[in-house]
Amino acid sequence: MTSNRLNDSNEFVVLRNVTKSFGSFRALNSISFGIKEGEIFGYIGPNGAGKTTTMKILVGLISDFQGEVSIGGYQVPKRKDEIHKLLGYLPQTVAFQEWRTVNHALKTLGKLSGLSDAEVEGRIPEILDLLGLADVRHKKISQLSGGMTQKVGLAQALLHEPKLLVLDEPLGGLDPLSRHQFKDIVLKLGQKGTTILFSSHILSDVQDVADRIGIINRGRIKQVGTLNELKSRLSSQKTVEVLLSYVSDKWQEFGAIKNVTTVEQPSPGRVLVKLETNADEDQVVNDIVQSIVKLGIRVRGITLLEPSLDEIYLNYVQEAEN
Amino acid sequence: MKLGLLFVDELRGFYKSKVMIFLWIGLPIIALLFRFVSASISGQNIPFTLVSSIVVSSLAGTLASVMLAVFIINEKNRHVYELFLIRPLKRRDIILAKFFSVYTCVAIASLIAVLAGMITDYATTGTLSMTILNNAGQSLATSLSMIAVSCAAGVLIGVASPSVLVGAILVIYGGNQISVIPLVPTLLNLQDATVFTIVLAGATAAGLLAAAVALFERKQF
Repeated sequence: MTSNRLNDSNEFVVLRNVTKSFGSFRALNSISFGIKEGEIFGYIGPNGAGKTTTMKILVGLISDFQGEVSIGGYQVPKRKDEIHKLLGYLPQTVAFQEWRTVNHALKTLGKLSGLSDAEVEGRIPEILDLLGLADVRHKKISQLSGGMTQKVGLAQALLHEPKLLVLDEPLGGLDPLSRHQFKDIVLKLGQKGTTILFSSHILSDVQDVADRIGIINRGRIKQVGTLNELKSRLSSQKTVEVLLSYVSDKWQEFGAIKNVTTVEQPSPGRVLVKLETNADEDQVVNDIVQSIVKLGIRVRGITLLEPSLDEIYLNYVQEAEN
Repeated sequence: MKLGLLFVDELRGFYKSKVMIFLWIGLPIIALLFRFVSASISGQNIPFTLVSSIVVSSLAGTLASVMLAVFIINEKNRHVYELFLIRPLKRRDIILAKFFSVYTCVAIASLIAVLAGMITDYATTGTLSMTILNNAGQSLATSLSMIAVSCAAGVLIGVASPSVLVGAILVIYGGNQISVIPLVPTLLNLQDATVFTIVLAGATAAGLLAAAVALFERKQF
């Protein structure tokens, strides 16, 4: 281990008090978080929150920042050469020189990543098959659609089997099938031990693949944790949804149950029972079931509604706005 | 070696670009037209070899430097370099590969134009005098020296300029002025002026490239 190694934990990526300003605009304000080896880390936040700046600092495209950053123990940007061997990066706007074919672009970028001629020749068909690009191997990239170009971008990031994959909005411009394929690929890479940092506006996609999630807004990290941790930290009112088999007014009786604040029927047959913040939700659900039996109401289902990632995200982002 | 890989790679991109196709074919044709038009106006048969050299020096340098500046600005603004910069290579290699590939293409185009001139002269007059060949050699050396400085200026302006328009204006007005620096030894009637021209051009081009590399190294993408 060299003297430039920063972290002594099992975190593969470490950002500590990172601050970056563009003129008078502070893009990142003392952000800190870590990503464990083999972890898939979803990075979400509104436009201009600082996601791309964070990623550019990580991959060494922005080197004048304050704070400490390390990848695999190597300090960024001091140990660029070592770091770049570990790294695969898909920028938000992926662009290639117009005269390049898919094959030619991958060949050059693969060789620049340190692959031998034979390795490049072996990897290109493999990766093109994986991404469904085999048919366009000898086409000019300038003739491909935006989604296809994005896939070529992903191909160049995966080509040399990097230990860390940094993907900036990788799902933008992809059709639903490609998004599904992409998520599969990310999950498989995660299982193989690749550490992945990816940002997205499509929260359901982040929810599907990320082991942990970081929420950033206005250059500050608002929350970092697993989805369940984020849910539990969110002190929102708990709600029980009761789906009635037929329209009936008897649901208003639920209002008498202990620790229930309000009962409403937003649509016929769908009743929302809102609980007090510190209520024992299991006890309340049990009381609702007993009330249903007592009142002789027929129901299709009872669900304790948990906040979705959308709600968590909106809560933390709006909290910051306020 | 990454510079070699990038050089061959860029060469592949440039040699079939529209500008280069114009240089490969257009330069000899323009020289040929110029020679016959001037002959019919002045009644004098200027050796085609010399005409080719003049055309090469006046056109190729400008085209090459504009091409380099525009390519670099476009690629910079389209974020093309990001995929290169996150790989284990020296930033300077990207810039130097561009310079050497364009310069190589233009040098070959210039040689073709002058060679075409020599062949035409030989075909029309049945002879090639040593004086013409010497003059052509010297003017070709001067042209290639000026082109080297133009190309280096194009690279520097490409790296520094934020937009294609600003870059093109700077290259046409500024780059071309700088490219006459290698002519100083000839204007001063120095002995062995051609050698001094080549050395001066090498030094000037190296200086401009060093400035371009330093700027590119510091650039945040």
